[in-house]
Amino acid sequence: MTLFLLYDTRSQLQSRQTNLKSRCVPLKCAVPLTRRNFASEAKKVFSRDKPHVNIGTIGHVDHGKTTLTAAITKVLAEAGGACYKKYEDIDNAPEEKARGITINASHVEYTTSNRHYAHTDCPGHADYVKNMITGTAQLDGCILVVAATDGQMPQTREHLLLARQIGVEHVVVFVNKADAVEDKEMLELVELEIRELLSEFGYNSETTPVVVGSALCALENRQPDLGVDAILNLLQVVDEYIPLPKRELEKPFLLPVEGVHSIPGRGTVVTGTLERGTVKKGDECEFVGHNRSFKSVVTGVEMFHQSLERAEAGDNLGALVRGLKREDLRRGMVMCKPGSIQPHQKVKTQVYILSKEEGGRHKPFVTNFMPVMFSLTWDMVCRVQLPENKEMVMPGEDTSLTLTLRQPMVLENGQRFTLRDGNRTIGTGLVTEIMPTTQDDLHNWG
Amino acid sequence: MAVSILFRSVKTNLAKVNFQKHVQCVHTGCSLLGADKALVVKLRKATGYTFINCKKALEKFNNDIEQAESWLHEQAQMEGWSKAHKLEGRRAKEGLIGLLTQDNAAVMVEVNCETDFVARNEKFQQLVQDVTLATMAHHHSRQQSGYVKSMWSAEDLTKLTMVDGPLVADQLALTIGRLGENISVRRAVSFGIPANWHIGSYVHGAVMEISSMPMGRYGALVVFQGGPEGQAETMGKKLGQHIVGEAPITLGNIEDQSCGESETRLLPQTFLMDPRYTVGQYLRLQNAHVFDFMRYKCGESIAQEVE
Repeated sequence: MTLFLLYDTRSQLQSRQTNLKSRCVPLKCAVPLTRRNFASEAKKVFSRDKPHVNIGTIGHVDHGKTTLTAAITKVLAEAGGACYKKYEDIDNAPEEKARGITINASHVEYTTSNRHYAHTDCPGHADYVKNMITGTAQLDGCILVVAATDGQMPQTREHLLLARQIGVEHVVVFVNKADAVEDKEMLELVELEIRELLSEFGYNSETTPVVVGSALCALENRQPDLGVDAILNLLQVVDEYIPLPKRELEKPFLLPVEGVHSIPGRGTVVTGTLERGTVKKGDECEFVGHNRSFKSVVTGVEMFHQSLERAEAGDNLGALVRGLKREDLRRGMVMCKPGSIQPHQKVKTQVYILSKEEGGRHKPFVTNFMPVMFSLTWDMVCRVQLPENKEMVMPGEDTSLTLTLRQPMVLENGQRFTLRDGNRTIGTGLVTEIMPTTQDDLHNWG
Repeated sequence: MAVSILFRSVKTNLAKVNFQKHVQCVHTGCSLLGADKALVVKLRKATGYTFINCKKALEKFNNDIEQAESWLHEQAQMEGWSKAHKLEGRRAKEGLIGLLTQDNAAVMVEVNCETDFVARNEKFQQLVQDVTLATMAHHHSRQQSGYVKSMWSAEDLTKLTMVDGPLVADQLALTIGRLGENISVRRAVSFGIPANWHIGSYVHGAVMEISSMPMGRYGALVVFQGGPEGQAETMGKKLGQHIVGEAPITLGNIEDQSCGESETRLLPQTFLMDPRYTVGQYLRLQNAHVFDFMRYKCGESIAQEVE
């Protein structure tokens, strides 16, 4: 009886899967037939076998950013590394239309033989700066698209300026529409001009790779030397030129303390989520924050009441530390590799202030506004000082702010934080520079 | 063919040596093949028109750079118009507010574009400045006296002539052709006041790259009288900041009671710069009266149209 039932359900399942399969075909999901199996079609599981890189296209309007994106997915779909997205699908994507309150994330992904890419189009300057500050979609590299017929145009400059501003270090140039230029010397003039432009914006004009091709040819399957081959060449260059982002595991360890417990007979245990790096028994450590600093040694690492050989970034752990009392430590301090991080009181930051629709304030604020700053596991009142050319900050704006904390806390370049006022979040930001504390800053707290 | 192959190999070798030399090499090297290459680069540097058009122009006029340039300008105007027609109707909700106060008059103009990249561009800012100046010139030419407030629609504005000759509409088309985005001159307001009144102004999110004219994402003009001697400008700015920040809709009455956070009348609102007072109380302390005000937020009228 049971056997029969089992068989029955299985055959049902199979028929359902064949249905699914037939539904999938018109989608042209480009997994070769030999590799197809039923489970993967029911719900494709994202496999993390290749390193992930975020990439974006920038360039003047009508120079073919979207066409290039479509061409890349088409060429890679033939090799099994992407789902072909037509120009219209990308251009009219609901994400682009609904842009407004939410931050648009990338909506095109593809895989080369070495890497997995998430691809973002260029929505607007303010959006990108917002992405950079809130950390939603950091760009590891950019493809600058320039039409061979036009050369660099006004928005090419603005986009490059932006790439500089949000910290994109590596740019690959794609000279598009090469099929529309009969005179090959022209292509070289365009290339020269771009190299000049790149060095103007502080990029290395000699080592930046330039690929000449035509995205349209690739889409229409003609002139493979400018079409498919150029796209493949471009992808190879991107693979080689844009480096992988540094992994969290390779950095010195940092554990923001969430709780401190005293275990009778064993000692003091700190708990928290390891922000970065790795920790193992016997590592030297340092506790910093709340005007205190202690050195100690990790004598044991535990996760779920089991002792752990080595904890990695992202693990939720408890660490037994030698020679410290529970009263010495408190939430908001960090446990780190000795000397790797210091407390600071005054920082320069880049902040995005939430608009009223996003749940922020509806009023602007001026210098001397005092919100509470939350970062890692600590929170501290801070005083806002606006940059010189600014007199007030409106909701929905991004701005640079100098923040002075009431007490020094652990802060470093690139650290993210949230600003809250009363019971609402008013903004989120990123530390850009550590500033020395002056005598004035200390007195002003009364 | 052989020459070009030779030429190319020489060039690639040189390119590795030095970038600067590379440029020169093209200039001198190209003269072997046809004189126009160096000229194309020169013409493009000077005008900023696309490579292909520069080349076409030089071919047409047999490398006469002056004729080519004037032809390019004409061509740009035509292309601008065709582009403007093509892009018409695309949603433009970014842009800048330009503001100008002069003697007893002030104008505020909103010009929209599609993305904020364009709003950062010099050419776009130049357009905003030109339109603002044109509106101001037109305001002066009407020779009115006393208190005058006039609102301008998009149609009124495109019919104006620039200070240096062409129609605003032509200049608009030219800029569209250059920047490749839909751009529209949305609206404007102008104030003229009697001699003892003041106009306060404030522009928020100001970009100041090409000129001293303030331009930004928010703008406010406020017409008032009185206030401490010699401090009209600072006071006008403070009031302008309050208006940009608190977005009042109506003026209200000085005796009105505030209805809290959602107050939309100016006078009962809590004064942004000094929260101890309402705007009305502050004005009374300074012995001043506000008669009228105007607040522009970039793109707000588009949002209303969509709704």
